[in-house]
This record gives sequence, structure tokens and C-alpha cells, in this order.
Amino acid sequence: MAVLNLRNVTYTYPLTDAPVLKNVSLQVEEGEFVAVIGPNGAGKSTLCYAIAGFIPHFYKGELTGTVEVEGVDVRQTTLSERVLQAGLVFQNPFSQITGAKYTVYEEIAFGLENTGVPPDEMHRRIGQVMRLTGITDLAERSPYALSGGQQQRVALASILVMEPKILVLDEPTSQLDPIGAREVFAVIKALSEQGRTVVMVEHKVEWVAAFADRVIALDGGEIVLEGTPRQVLSAVELAGRGFGLSRYTLAAHEAEKQGLWPRGEPLPVTLAEAVAGFGRRGGKA
Amino acid sequence: MKIVVDALHFTYPSGVEALRGVSLTIEPGEQVALVGQNGSGKTTLVKHLNGLLRPTQGRVWVGDWDAAQMPVAKLARRVGYVFQNPDEQLFSRSVGAEVAFGPRNLGFSADRIAKQVAWALEMTALTAHKDTNPYDLSPTWRKMVALAAVIAMDTPIVVFDEPTTGQDAAGVARIARVIAALRAKGRTVITITHDIDFCAENFERVIALAQGQVLLDGPAREVLAQEEALARTYVDPPQLARLAKQLGLPVVPLNQEEFLAAYRQSQKLSNLHG
Amino acid sequence: MHERLSFYIPRSSTLHQLNPLTKVTLTFTLIILAFFSPWYWTAPLLAVGVILPLSALGQVLRPYLSAAARLVLPAVAFIFVMQSLFLPGGQTVLVRLWLLEVTVESLSAAFLTTTRIFAMVSAFILFLLTTHPSHLMSDLTRRKLPAAFAYVIISTLQIIPQMQAKAQTIMDAQRARGLDTESGFIRRVQALTPLVGPLVFGSLVEVEERAIAIEARGFSSTRPKTSLHEIPDTPRDRAIRWVLLALIVLTFASKLWLS
Repeated sequence: MAVLNLRNVTYTYPLTDAPVLKNVSLQVEEGEFVAVIGPNGAGKSTLCYAIAGFIPHFYKGELTGTVEVEGVDVRQTTLSERVLQAGLVFQNPFSQITGAKYTVYEEIAFGLENTGVPPDEMHRRIGQVMRLTGITDLAERSPYALSGGQQQRVALASILVMEPKILVLDEPTSQLDPIGAREVFAVIKALSEQGRTVVMVEHKVEWVAAFADRVIALDGGEIVLEGTPRQVLSAVELAGRGFGLSRYTLAAHEAEKQGLWPRGEPLPVTLAEAVAGFGRRGGKA
Repeated sequence: MKIVVDALHFTYPSGVEALRGVSLTIEPGEQVALVGQNGSGKTTLVKHLNGLLRPTQGRVWVGDWDAAQMPVAKLARRVGYVFQNPDEQLFSRSVGAEVAFGPRNLGFSADRIAKQVAWALEMTALTAHKDTNPYDLSPTWRKMVALAAVIAMDTPIVVFDEPTTGQDAAGVARIARVIAALRAKGRTVITITHDIDFCAENFERVIALAQGQVLLDGPAREVLAQEEALARTYVDPPQLARLAKQLGLPVVPLNQEEFLAAYRQSQKLSNLHG
Repeated sequence: MHERLSFYIPRSSTLHQLNPLTKVTLTFTLIILAFFSPWYWTAPLLAVGVILPLSALGQVLRPYLSAAARLVLPAVAFIFVMQSLFLPGGQTVLVRLWLLEVTVESLSAAFLTTTRIFAMVSAFILFLLTTHPSHLMSDLTRRKLPAAFAYVIISTLQIIPQMQAKAQTIMDAQRARGLDTESGFIRRVQALTPLVGPLVFGSLVEVEERAIAIEARGFSSTRPKTSLHEIPDTPRDRAIRWVLLALIVLTFASKLWLS
């Protein structure tokens, strides 16, 4: 049974006319890593909110279709129970600091205290999750005294500690500098290797290609393309719709038009694929 | 308007020495990218250009003005600064009013204000949203409003602080067009960015800072070729430059056309010898 | 940059080890004693004979004296002077300054008011110096204070310094757009909207994001809440609270009886 099952989901925010999600259907199996790409305004964040239960419970509005996590539709449960199944981490590291706790260790405990986890269990889980996110040495620091990358890893830890079935990441590195982004992607890599179920919205296509089992291309609230990373990220028609494909893909596409790319070879997404393709036709491959 | 930075040192009140002797000259109309890891002094440096920070030691000249002696509001005539977080600027009821704020402060005539606002809105694709409340727009569009609000001030020098953060491909292309338009008008553009591909494609000169000092300063092609030095300040080479290097191409391509031209050339040569 | 608004100084004194509710009760008892005791000299006696020694017991003597001198004395001195000069209805004039006179009665009333205020604020300062805000909130939440209430108080303590930093950045950004914040009063008043506007709107945007973040951590869960740290409530604490309660009752009783 799919751990996440969206069927014909259409959603309109309150006081607006146009639906932001239009008839979206998506199934995610346990352990899958699904990436969602799309131009701004495509409905990616809305999709994340729908999975985590904020739609309809927090945002209200009109929701049709079903959003099932582990077989339970979002309308059959409360927001505070849904977030235990689908944890959400979003872009802004600063606004994810609760402000209620003075140390990173206590900050991570916040969610566990809210949901009635016994103290012994809390200590066990917090230690584990800090090791996973590489923040054990930050335990006694104030969350406000950290870099963006560190804060984002604390946010990740604070959600992971609640042991959700699905982890929803909405552009987790878009507000970080390259070092911070690298730190966060290292954690995401570890999570993916552990077999977590992850739905990640991301612009940086090289990272999508590195982690995702499947890529969903969302535009104007609809799924316009779905497939493996290589299939979706090399679909150059997406570039015309505002999707940010990698420069390797775009260069190879242009090269193909000029007869410089091996005929029949699928377009590259990563550096390695580009080197392999361009290097094939002589040169110093 | 020439910019001269002469042996600039700056230490924050907390004791952190952010700039340890930076000297550089930027000629009028140059397009310069400032790169380097967080904490290398990029923002500290540019904040001296519009007087938000005053040198602990050394001098900063903006044209014939000693920046340390001028009030910030006055330097705003010569240096426009687009901050990273638009929500730290936006307060007006409409996008149009917001964009007119800067020009009004600078005392432009009503005609000039209208012209500048119209131009800025067109460049940032916001003309249709002239009467919209900025906070009704998404964060990425709010960033465009903040950008429009500064370019409307028509300053000879414009500083952008991480303009592409959070933007999608269309947004980045829009910003690149704005920078090209400023270049066409002969304006000096200084950008702090960690998007190295954006940097390579839009800026002719790259200055890399590390630990409060200038590490590299020169034409983009030369600076971006120095991988080891750049790695010291945590800057990766652009995607196509990496590809070119792995393919053994002799040039550092700054964009797709250059890469393909170099590749074509190398194919011709290998076909000759092949 | 301070990361939070907090007086708290970590020590391992007897005062620090007391349960937060006990310290709340102590603070209130001191205030009620100071304001409602029928004996004139209660407040100064409490300040010097109880609060000051307690600050030594709590190993925060110097911070207490410094806070009292910095925060309380100037205000209290001002009130003293004002009351001495302006309180009407006095009989025995001591000093006359133009239209104002200082009488024995106004002086003694001023002394009473100021010593009471001093005792009250000192009690609060001592409380803040020896009580960690999140321990207080955890304990009160355990005793059924609504979690939302505790959250608002605690997060405000940490978020206000962040807002101060943000206000500075906003000022920089608007000055960089030519906003004149230096010349003339009218200009400065006009400058308020561009300074306050982004602070308010930006904060609203942030509030929405933070609300989502805390909901994502089960903030409105109906499961019974637990606490990472156990804050002990010992028999000694309970005994002290009963004694303090008795003192409060006695104070009110004696006030009623004597009036």
C-alpha cells in the first residue's frame, strides 16, 4: 500500500477564485524519494502543505479529492495528528526556531514535549537525531546563535525526532549559502540512504538527480511530467515553461541541434553524464 | 562614477575584524561580482559604499565624495543598494508607491518620478501589479519590487546583495536582463552572489574575498579558472567551466555559446588529427 | 548582541533550587506585605532586611545591587521629589520653594510610596535573577497554565532582541533609499511609516511561518504534555508556600482589623 496517496486533489485558497492545485494525483511508496520541480507559483508549497495536513486544517479553503497518508484521509484526522505522520521543513531557517527554548537540545525536544513523549525516550531520540544531522556539538548553543545551515539542520532534527513516516522538504536550501546547502544535502543524503520516504521540492537539479527515485514536474497546479530524474530533467520542453534545467542539459540540447552530441544519446543532467556524452566523440575523453 | 577603496580596514564593535586592508578601484560602468564565503567581508565592504558603515581605517571614494564624510541619505544619490530581504523595505500600499519612494526622497520632479517608476516596473515585469499591495505578492515577487524600488532611483552605481536567492529560472533571467539594461545605460553594477553560474554569465570582472582581504581580482575568465584559490573561500567553478576542464578544453567558458564554440573547435582539431 | 531579554544568572544557590511557583509566591508575598502592612516601616525593612540578604543567599548580590541602582533608584528618586513637592494637604511646612512647599506630611507620604515601589521592583528583580524563564513556564504549564500563554511569554523574551536587530536593518535599508532620519522633527515623524511599516508587516509574515513551524511540532496536540526536565517541587517548597500564604492572610487580616 502506498504510504502517500493523493487522488484528484484540487485546492483553492480562501478568498481566491483560481485553484492552485488542479486534479493532482500522486502515489508514493514507502522508502521512495520523490522530488518536485516547477517554476514559482506552480503550487509546490501548496502540495507540501496538503501532504502535511496544513491544507485544509490550517489554511481552510476548498479541497476536493483525497489526501491519504497510511490510508487515512486528511479530513479524518486532526492537524496535530497528521504532522506526526508527515513532517514539514521549509525554506526559512529563522522562522522555524520556536523561540520558546534557549538551547538547541531543548528546541529539538519541543515537538516531543507537545506530543507527550516520556523524558527517557526524549533523550534517546534527541541524541540519535543530533548524530544524524551532525549537530551534537551544538546542543548547548542558543538556536539564534547559529548559521543558516546549522539552523536548518536543527529544524530538520526537530522534525525527524518526531519520527514521521514521510518527510516533506520545501526548498530546504534555497535561503542558504553554498556551505550551508552542502551541510543540509549531506543530511538528506543520509536520510535517503536509510530508506526514508521523502518528498522534496528543489530547484537545484544536480541535487535532484543525485537523490531522487522519481521526479514530478508541476506547473500551474498540474503534473505535466513524471518519471526518473534523467527522463524528466532532460525534457528540454520544460525549459520553455520556466523550469530551470541544468546547464549541461541545455548545452547538450544546443549541441545536438548542431550535430555535436552523440545521436540517440539521452541528454545529460549531471556533470558525469555530460562528460561521458561530450567525451565520446573524440577529444580527450 | 569611479569608486576607489584605499587600504580599508573595518572592525565591528563586537571586535570582529571584517576587513583587513582592502584596496581596489572600480571604473564607471564596470560590472563586478563579489564572491567568497560568508564572513569573508563582502557585505561589510559594500556597506562602506553607501555610508552604512564607516572605515575604521582607510578611505572610500565614491566619485569625488569621501564616503565616510557623507550622510547615508546623501550617498543614496550615487549608490543604490538592493538588500537581500525585501520585507525589510516594503511598507507602501501599492507597488507603484513603493517604487516611487526612493525617487521622491531624492527630490526628482514629478515627471522624472513617473518615468523612472514606469521603467523600473517594466524591467521587473511588475507593470500589471502597479496597484497591488506588495504583501499580496509572493516572496519572490516582493524581491522584484524591492529591486524595482532601487533601480528607479537611477543611481550611477547599483549594488545587489544576493539578488537570485529564492528565484526560479524565470526570475534569474529577469534579473540578468535588469543588469544588462543597467550596463547599456553605463551604470556601475556590483553584485554579491554565491550563484557562480549567474556570476559567470553576467559579470566581466570577479573579485574574490577571503577573510577580509582580496584574494583574487580580475577578468571573470581568469579568476574563475583558479580553482584551488577559489576553493579556499568555498567558491565552486561554474558548471560549464567544470565540464570544459574535464573535457580538456583550453578555455574557461563563461556561458553556453563560449562552451560550444570551444567544443566545436576541439572537435575540428581532433578530427584533423583523428 | 544579547540573544534574549533575560535577567537570569545561573547559580546553584538555595534560591535557584526552589520551585518556580515558590519563588512567584515569595515575590507576591513581599509585594503584598510592602503595600498592605499597617506598619509604616515595613517596606524599607523588607528591602534591606529581607530582599538584600536573600540576594546574597542567591549568590546574586552584586547583580542585584547593580540592577537596583540602574533601574529602580532613578525612578524612585524622581517619584520621591515629585510627591514631596506636590502632595497637597500638609500642615507642617519644612521648606518653601516659590509656590511649592515640602511638608512633614508630604515627605512622609513620599517616603512610604517610594519605599513600597522600591520593595516591589526589587522583589521582581530578585525573582528574575534567580528563575530561568523556561523553567517557570514549564512548571506553570504542568500546573495547567495554557501552553499558548506560556509560549507567547517565553518567545517574546527571545524574539524582541531579534526584532531590535531587524529594526536597525530596516532603518539602514530605508536610509539607503534616501530617507532622511537626521534633520528636523517633521521629517523624522514622516520617517516613521517607512520604519515601522516593514517591521510590522515583516513580523506578520514571520508570525505565519512560525505558526506553521510550531504546528508542525504538534503544538495544538491534545495529548497530555510532558517535560524534558523535571522541575522538582519538594516538601520544603510546599511548606514555604503555606507559610507565605499565612503571612498574606495575616497581613490582610491585620489591615482589616486595624481599620
